Amino acid sequence: MGVAVARQLSGYRAAVLLGWAVSSNWTRPILFIAYSLLRPVSMALILAVMYTVITGNAAATRPYLAFLIIGTAFWSFIQEGVSEFANGILEDRGRYHILKYAYIAPLGFPIYLVGRATSKLASAAASVVIVLLVGAFALHLGINPLQIDYPLLVAACLLAFVSVIAFAITFSTMLLAGRDTNGYGDIIAQFLYLFSGAIFPISVLPGPIAWIASLSPLPYWLELCRRAILHARVYQMFPNMSDGEVLLRLVVATAGTVLLGYILFRFTDRRARRLGHIDMEVNW
Amino acid sequence: MKVFFHALSPTLESLSAVSGSHPSSNSSRLAVETRRLTRVYKTRRETTTALHDVDLEVEQGELFGVLGPNGAGKTTLIKILVTLLLPTSGEAFVDSLDVVRDYKRLRNRIAMVSGGEQAGYGVLKVREQLWMFSQFYGMDSKAARRRIDELLDRLGLAEAGNKEITSLSSGMRQKMNLVRGLMTDPRVLFLDEPTVALDVGAARDVRSEVQRWMAEDPTRTVILTTHYMQEADELCDRVAIVNRGRIVAEGAPRTLKASVDEDVIVDLQLDPGTPLLDRLRAIEGVGAASVREEDGVDRFSLLLADDAVLPRVMTTVEGAGRRVSGLVRRQPTLEDAFVKLVGRSMTEEEAG
Ligand SMILES: Nc1ncnc2c1ncn2[C@@H]1O[C@H](COP(=O)(O)OP(=O)(O)OP(=O)(O)O)[C@@H](O)[C@H]1O
Ligand SMILES: [Mg+2]
Repeated sequence: MGVAVARQLSGYRAAVLLGWAVSSNWTRPILFIAYSLLRPVSMALILAVMYTVITGNAAATRPYLAFLIIGTAFWSFIQEGVSEFANGILEDRGRYHILKYAYIAPLGFPIYLVGRATSKLASAAASVVIVLLVGAFALHLGINPLQIDYPLLVAACLLAFVSVIAFAITFSTMLLAGRDTNGYGDIIAQFLYLFSGAIFPISVLPGPIAWIASLSPLPYWLELCRRAILHARVYQMFPNMSDGEVLLRLVVATAGTVLLGYILFRFTDRRARRLGHIDMEVNW
Repeated sequence: MKVFFHALSPTLESLSAVSGSHPSSNSSRLAVETRRLTRVYKTRRETTTALHDVDLEVEQGELFGVLGPNGAGKTTLIKILVTLLLPTSGEAFVDSLDVVRDYKRLRNRIAMVSGGEQAGYGVLKVREQLWMFSQFYGMDSKAARRRIDELLDRLGLAEAGNKEITSLSSGMRQKMNLVRGLMTDPRVLFLDEPTVALDVGAARDVRSEVQRWMAEDPTRTVILTTHYMQEADELCDRVAIVNRGRIVAEGAPRTLKASVDEDVIVDLQLDPGTPLLDRLRAIEGVGAASVREEDGVDRFSLLLADDAVLPRVMTTVEGAGRRVSGLVRRQPTLEDAFVKLVGRSMTEEEAG
């Protein structure tokens, strides 16, 4: 058992290095940093400007600016996570023709996928911190590092991390069914953006869509991040729920995502082997 | 924990024997066994039966060749055996493990290399790439580096090992991929057309490295597909000839060739002229005939029941107004065995 775990770990480590070399480290770290820095920061700033133009920066709407910026900050994690899983698996198949060899290696396939995306997830975590810093210093959101509820923040982020990974593994494996699924990772990330409560509360969505969004862990996660960082000084999506209630919903939604993801992955994985998707010739 | 694991595994083995996932008990030394293995591909336009009731037994320690024309089903067979593809029906066992039910355990014991493709990450160096795969197989990092160096050295890639793989020739890349297959010391190694598109020298290097690797441990098994008759003949202990998803013959190359021993095999060179193949095939005593054009002349291969058939052949040739530029009697090859079994040459089968 111990030996088996150690072997999976060394496989995971190699997959992390692979992801770094192939996807992140474009050739020059400078470029890489610029990309993982500039994109999220410019997105946050665009939203801040839009907000200012529309509201005239009235004092009463400041909690909503905080809502917007914190949501956007943590969002880069989903953006990078989901799209990197999808890009990695499709590149490995279509561009490098290596997916089949990774697939039949003893290293668990999901572990391979997580390893392959890890460096991007890490850079996404860096983006989160950077956007929060921009929010604190450039936009004067009143973030005080000493007042952050770290246990709540960490718990919420861990749960979200598990959900996002479960979703991304399953979703990226599903993409193997298509010959032209390049770029779907970005599209689905954008789509999730709508449901997540990142830039507006899910209650403004039309009824059925709001209901679907309320089953997802994402709005609860972002709500907890906002509360952990700014407590009552941020606009709340679920004003009638206590922190504990939101956390409970996040736990349940995460468990549901993991369970559903697992079932779907088993099914998709088998279907991919039945239909020969893993080494299918595709348009690249 | 390790002790516990080992103590548990015999129980698991016997459990699976009871539940019937094990092949018949006398096959414990079989590296590969398939029973009525069938694979159907369905696309919107058509349904192809790539493998049709294939029964195959390969013993441990064998270098086994799967020989057949394009589209015969060779790659499909390999994909099923390496757990990349599910069979439509029938069963397959590799190293006594069911490829469908026991695929996770099986992956520790096998490796696959396909020729004729440019697999690999351009930005990685050869050694990095190979090391990475060794880690996916759970090899000890240092031992893996040593093994990789040793194999690269033997295939003449010691220097290329520090290059990014985009700077490698396609032959070097194919050799690198062979190293990937060899380095993890699989129980059964699957090579899908390992020498396709290689020049003579590189193909020879690959063949001799495979043979040397097998000699290192007599329980190692290699399943190799090819459509080069000569390669199968020289390299393999036993060969299965497949055509259109079925095994049409199986045995040592020598045995397969012996099936055409009784026949008189004649190569007939004719200057270009009216088509003749069907007329030759119609002659009584002509077992099989095939033709290929080479350097502007038609080279016919004929399997004749005995010497007495030859005059009838010559009469037909002259009757058609064709001029003979050469005539030799020669030893049988696997190609002749194929032609006799299938009735057409491999090239004709590929042309469809
Ligand atoms: N994914 C697929 N979808 C549909 N048909 C397929 C698929 N893969 C293979 N086939 C068909 O199955 C048959 C066997 O193909 P396979 O690739 O196994 O042959 P092969 O012996 O490896 O040929 P080659 O020498 O060209 O590599 C062919 O008729 C082929 O067209
Ligand atoms: Mg093939």
